[in-house]
Amino acid sequence: MFRNTHLTDRLAKWLPRLVLTPSMVMVLVGVYLFMVWTGWISLSSSRMVPHYDFVGLEQYIRLWSTPRWHTAVINLFLFSFLFLAITVGTGLIIAILLDQNIRAEGALRAVYLYPMSLSFIVTGTAWKWILNPDLGIEKVVRSLGWESFVFDWITRPNFAIYTIVIAAVWQSSGFAMAIFLAGLRGIDNSVIKAAQIEGASLPKIYRSIIIPMLRPAFLSVIVLLSYIAIKNFDLVLAMTNGGPGSATEVPSTFMFSATFRRNQMGVGAASAIMMLMTVAAIIIPYLYSELKESRHAD
Amino acid sequence: MNKFKSAFVAGLLVAASSLPSHAETKIEVLHHWVSESEVAALNVIRNALAEKGFGWQDSAVGGMSGANAQQALRTRLAAGNPPAAMQFLGYEGLDWASEGVLRNMNDMATANGWQKAIAPQVLPFVESNDGFFAVPINMHRQNWVWANKKVFDKVGIEQPQSWEDLIADGKKLKEAGIIPLAIGDEPWQIQVVFDSLVADIGGPEFYKKAMVDLDDDALSSDTMKHIFDTLREVRGLVDDGFNGRDWAVATGMVINGQAAMQVMGDWAKGEFLAKGLKPDTDFLCFATPSKTPSFLFLIDSFGMFYINDENVTKGQDALAQVIMDPKVQRDFNKIKGSIPARSDVSVDDFDACAQKGFKERTEAINDGAMLGAATHGFASQPQFAAVFGDVAARFFVTEMSSDEAVEMLVDGIDNAR
Repeated sequence: MFRNTHLTDRLAKWLPRLVLTPSMVMVLVGVYLFMVWTGWISLSSSRMVPHYDFVGLEQYIRLWSTPRWHTAVINLFLFSFLFLAITVGTGLIIAILLDQNIRAEGALRAVYLYPMSLSFIVTGTAWKWILNPDLGIEKVVRSLGWESFVFDWITRPNFAIYTIVIAAVWQSSGFAMAIFLAGLRGIDNSVIKAAQIEGASLPKIYRSIIIPMLRPAFLSVIVLLSYIAIKNFDLVLAMTNGGPGSATEVPSTFMFSATFRRNQMGVGAASAIMMLMTVAAIIIPYLYSELKESRHAD
Repeated sequence: MNKFKSAFVAGLLVAASSLPSHAETKIEVLHHWVSESEVAALNVIRNALAEKGFGWQDSAVGGMSGANAQQALRTRLAAGNPPAAMQFLGYEGLDWASEGVLRNMNDMATANGWQKAIAPQVLPFVESNDGFFAVPINMHRQNWVWANKKVFDKVGIEQPQSWEDLIADGKKLKEAGIIPLAIGDEPWQIQVVFDSLVADIGGPEFYKKAMVDLDDDALSSDTMKHIFDTLREVRGLVDDGFNGRDWAVATGMVINGQAAMQVMGDWAKGEFLAKGLKPDTDFLCFATPSKTPSFLFLIDSFGMFYINDENVTKGQDALAQVIMDPKVQRDFNKIKGSIPARSDVSVDDFDACAQKGFKERTEAINDGAMLGAATHGFASQPQFAAVFGDVAARFFVTEMSSDEAVEMLVDGIDNAR
């Protein structure tokens, strides 16, 4: 009898670890081991296939003296910032509007969420045609009689990256909305009722009570969207293929072309490590502050 | 009992080892030919291989002009499971040969006189100091102009004799409401024009200095600046809707008369022929205009990987023989739209454009004007070839000056070294 309880106790203690071990091992090998491997390759002279020698920071120097890489980095920040800000903004607004007990909410929700079910390749291809001045919006508006209308951003190197923001926002706003809506539904109605009794206006209630209470929803949306922003590859590939004239290059497309098309595996690995560093520099402090906050709250 | 068992096992083993006769041995070929005409052309090789008693296991990885297939190959090599044969463009074969993963086919090459059958300019892409590492099946010419004859007749222009002519014709075409030049904004499509300009304006010697030797003086020369200035004028011949346009869509614009011309390799011919159009009556094919005409070539070749299996090795030998078979090269290239890689194969019953290309190749070989197409990696290693593409494409879509372009070119090449 005694032994039995002892065993159950031990099992109860070890079971969580036992269950977690396979996934831990998989993550260790599949993620962290390959991070280390990529780091090693970035310090080697690898061109076509991996070579395990050591050349110091040569590949990083080469990387940072490549103008295309500069374009890629600037584009990543520009794209991520605009994409995050606009998507969070529109997602929140749609969610708040949907939250006003309107009719057919379920149908509307499906409409807003639907773009998320498309792959970025489909979105990109569709927007490529929509934005093409000879086929899409510009042509339609001109054929309606506004002859001087110009919307040719996708052909202009300085504006093309914004067309990618447009497509990405279109794709992801519904997703942000869904998370915010779930957050809004989770808020206790009595708080709002109390504020209403106090005589607070609806905008004020939203601004100073509801939105601050959505903090966890913001965290999820921002983390998930920034991951979409950084891995953005298929959308660029489908819409502009990095063009016109490498104007919409992002780090992920740069890495792919350096590694697999230009025989510069070392430079590709260096760019991957730079991407990793960037993600770490942004996400880790943010996560840290958020998690610390929630521990305090507990 | 035991004796019986071992006899039984031995019998099984004998049966198993005698089972895979040649007919069962399949030769896996990794390639990136997926379009209809490409697959039809491959069937010529497949059938010839079957006659020799070997099967063809098709591993087609399409997309990204072969980059996806290259990626697949790397994964396969890393896993120690290479395909029996792989299609190569440009320096890919040479690079893999120097990694020591390709079989040496010197004996076969010597026995069959392959070296003599192939133009000396092509040899560096199939033969290194260590020997013959790949077999070329076809040759494309890149510096062609494809033109709509009806449009030319209507506007009253003829085949231009120089790029100045061509640009002047562009003005007439624009007045008639026709797009003079169809192109897409993909770097390689712009680079096809750029390559031609370098060879046409600079001449073959300059081309070799700039694109092959990557000579700084040539890259920053006034000739190079003049080439970029001409490229700027060529930009003026293009419509605004060219972003993300596939080369075949651009060819379609020439076919339906929306555009007058396209600078593209002879794979564009397939699009015309598929619509039932006839060379010289419906469409024109001529080399990009120059006083020093040149032939910018690219070839597809197949290399054989080391595989520790005698049957596969025999199959690889058979495949190499088949690919270098003059009859196979004839039949294959008639369908593919290219010309045979062997210079000694007759092209009598090919279409007019192929015959023209074949004739001009012979002239170019004699004049020293047979040059590797930089765009497809036949002038320099990919890391350099890509720099030319970057700069040309960027120049084409921005307001960059030719001085800036030349500077970017020199820096880019230095950085890639």
